[in-house]
Amino acid sequence: MNSARPPGEAVIQVEDLGKTYGGKLEAVKGVSFEVAPGEIFGFLGPNGAGKTTTVSMLTTLLTPTRGRAMVAGLDVATQAAQVRREIGLVFQDSTADGELTGRENLILAGGLFGMTPAECRAPIEMLLARMDLADAGDRRVKGYSGGMKRRLELAVAMVHTPKILFLDEPTIGLDPQGRAGFWRYIQELRREQQVTIFMTTHYLDEVENLCDRIAIIDHGRIIATGTNDALKEKVGGDVVELRTPGAARDLTETLRGVPGVREVRREGDLYQVKCSRAEGLVSALVMACDGAGVTPEGITVKRPSIDRVFLELTGKAYREEGYDDGRAAQASAFGARARGGR
Amino acid sequence: MLVELFALLKREYLRWVRAPMWIVAGLMTPILYLLLFGQAFNLGALVGSSPQGEAALRAALWGAPDYFSYFAVGMVGLVAVTSALFAGTGVIFDKQLGIMQRTIATPVRRSTIFSSILLFRGFLVVLPIFIVLGLALAFAHVPGLVGMTVTQNVGALGVGAVILAVFILAIAFTSLFLAFGFLFSRVESYFGVVNLLNLPLLFTSNALYPVGTEPGWLQNITAYNPISLAVDVMRETFFGSSYYPHPVYVYLLGLLAWAVGLVALALFLAARALRTK
Repeated sequence: MNSARPPGEAVIQVEDLGKTYGGKLEAVKGVSFEVAPGEIFGFLGPNGAGKTTTVSMLTTLLTPTRGRAMVAGLDVATQAAQVRREIGLVFQDSTADGELTGRENLILAGGLFGMTPAECRAPIEMLLARMDLADAGDRRVKGYSGGMKRRLELAVAMVHTPKILFLDEPTIGLDPQGRAGFWRYIQELRREQQVTIFMTTHYLDEVENLCDRIAIIDHGRIIATGTNDALKEKVGGDVVELRTPGAARDLTETLRGVPGVREVRREGDLYQVKCSRAEGLVSALVMACDGAGVTPEGITVKRPSIDRVFLELTGKAYREEGYDDGRAAQASAFGARARGGR
Repeated sequence: MLVELFALLKREYLRWVRAPMWIVAGLMTPILYLLLFGQAFNLGALVGSSPQGEAALRAALWGAPDYFSYFAVGMVGLVAVTSALFAGTGVIFDKQLGIMQRTIATPVRRSTIFSSILLFRGFLVVLPIFIVLGLALAFAHVPGLVGMTVTQNVGALGVGAVILAVFILAIAFTSLFLAFGFLFSRVESYFGVVNLLNLPLLFTSNALYPVGTEPGWLQNITAYNPISLAVDVMRETFFGSSYYPHPVYVYLLGLLAWAVGLVALALFLAARALRTK
């Protein structure tokens, strides 16, 4: 994976990190990646792929059974207490106390990091304003909407101004509009606080729209790392489709001759031209057609999607819901104990 | 460290004051016991009011002048168990709601988390105990009600011993039920075990009835029951040492041994539940 290493000094360095539960279930089978300061790094994979287990190890909630992870320059296994000081966490489920108001939850969060109510007043007011919760700040959280609760979780995680923010499936349960709104809040936080963001998700559109770089994880292994574009490039780049109704000539060879073209496929009057990037190539393709005496009608550029990347790399289609639910329960060690346990 | 402790205590306090029905309901049981059961079930009337009768009654009631006075002190044990019983549910709900996970993910020391829970839950046990004792004493001044009569001249030392006994008993039982709260992750399992424990604890104590007529084996168990030990401290202080085989401090030390053991058990299970896996 050529782009596993980001430019600059990494704030998260993971080497061969793995977790085996009870000596049997190998949830994460040795993953390696790095995250640069200020990045939004997405960890994409279907349910049960090992995302939550990985994020739990990085946030010191689980002890790795192999490999090593450095977060903010600290070893998660041996310097857990210091790591906790440098990170903020947004869990899959809401963890705010519903009986307390939003502001009281934030004061509690600051208190857990040793900040007196006076010390955390300024960051709390700023965060409430940023998250559009200023008016709701003195209302009890049990009356909040799903989106408000998610925003409060973000604020709770940021009270102590952490260097790195970990988000574990932060938009699960939100409708598409709520999710898009949540992305804006994340981007705003990143811009204003210069915080590095590590997030897990199983939504494809989330990594496409929000993340700078992503790692795709499946069955406990990282199968690809890089920017969206780099990953798409890997599976064949863009496809330009040209339609030439009524043209008598076969343009396949003509199009193949255009520099940058990798492959041309013809279906009737439809030509599919594979290339690494469509920009700059479309006009060359049109000119080549003109040179052959054919004027193409209808030109469309198709960008490969991350689900195609997933399909090409794993040989199976990406499904956002209901994928391998049996192991999803195991993925969250703490959650499994709390919900299913004795 | 104090900032963290206060933050956690503040949360517990806010949750508590915002559930007023819970507070009222918690106090209703002991008050009903005092107001109805204690008033109705007054054994003193059976033996009449002759001097011999009174002496026999006092001997049977370990120095208490009447059953209500005997029983009112025993109520401390009943209240301790019934209010400590809920200590573990808070822990289970916090685990289920993810609040515990959020707390563990912060730099707060595990000992601070444990202390905050023990302190607050212990306070919720101590509070109704003193309310019940205060009410029992106040009843003596209410026309138409039987109240608790203290026959001894209780000095500062005696008051200190009673307060100490209440606090140690509260810590012991709070720890016991917290231990189960940390052990179980479902309220159903928790109450299953707690209910199983509840009645034997009360019935092998001297809280509700005089133990002089029990079979010997049961008396032996009763003597070491933590409720009995706390109640003995108080009854001996209130009703006179001549009825008791040991001085007050012996019972206090026995009670303390229970508390140390139960706190250790709770600490062990809390550490197990709060550690990273």
